[in-house]
Amino acid sequence: MSVVTFRWSRFILRLGGCLFLWWVLTGGRASSWIIGVPTIALALWVMEAAPQTHPWRISFAGLLRFIPYFLLQSLRGGIDVARRAYSPRLPLDPQIIDFPLNLPPGPAQVFFLNSVSLLPGTLSADLNGTTLKVHLLDHKIDPQLDQLETRVAALFKCSLRGGDD
Amino acid sequence: MLLSDLITTLLLICSLPFFLAGTLGLLRFPDLYCRLHALTKADNLGLGLVVLALMIQADSWQVVIRLLLTWLLVLVAGATVAHLIARKAQQDGHQPWRR
Repeated sequence: MSVVTFRWSRFILRLGGCLFLWWVLTGGRASSWIIGVPTIALALWVMEAAPQTHPWRISFAGLLRFIPYFLLQSLRGGIDVARRAYSPRLPLDPQIIDFPLNLPPGPAQVFFLNSVSLLPGTLSADLNGTTLKVHLLDHKIDPQLDQLETRVAALFKCSLRGGDD
Repeated sequence: MLLSDLITTLLLICSLPFFLAGTLGLLRFPDLYCRLHALTKADNLGLGLVVLALMIQADSWQVVIRLLLTWLLVLVAGATVAHLIARKAQQDGHQPWRR
């Protein structure tokens, strides 16, 4: 059993987030709060009641550094796959590689898995324990997964296992 | 014609080749794994450009955030579904196509 502790700072942050989200989604119409207030109350209750197995934090500086990197890589990934789809010769030479994960299990790992699939030429295929199978569109692509892992670790303020052993 | 309209038009035109590439990849690529690459990456970039084009036309910044959230949700959903499909294929023993 995990110990459930109630923290006001966390609660106010969540409340603020929910109110803001509802306001953005509905355009702040007064009548929408008839549904909004009970929904937010329910959401907050679920967030308090659901056990948090992996507590996590995000570094603001890490986020600011991650966004431009991610956008640039998405752009490169989209252009790369589009080029291959249009080319008459269909330049593909796929391969599945094993990547030893150094991120701890939890949100950071899930975030990494999803990011891998949006980077140029890589697709996260299967996770067995700490080994991630990555499908490469072309074995000549340098996947740069170490670099991504370092950035995700900085974003989630966690250390890589390989680093501090 | 306003400058903002011009930028919106340019961004929308730029998005089209990527949506087409996603579909073309789905039809032309040799196996499931390669098709997932085309669908996730090309369509996400296409949608990102459309969202950017519409953000410029937005009347309020609430609309801007709403558009941004739409893109992020599609991004997360696309990457998650692609991973789940690829994982199932791996576990069922689908061998990737080799040249």
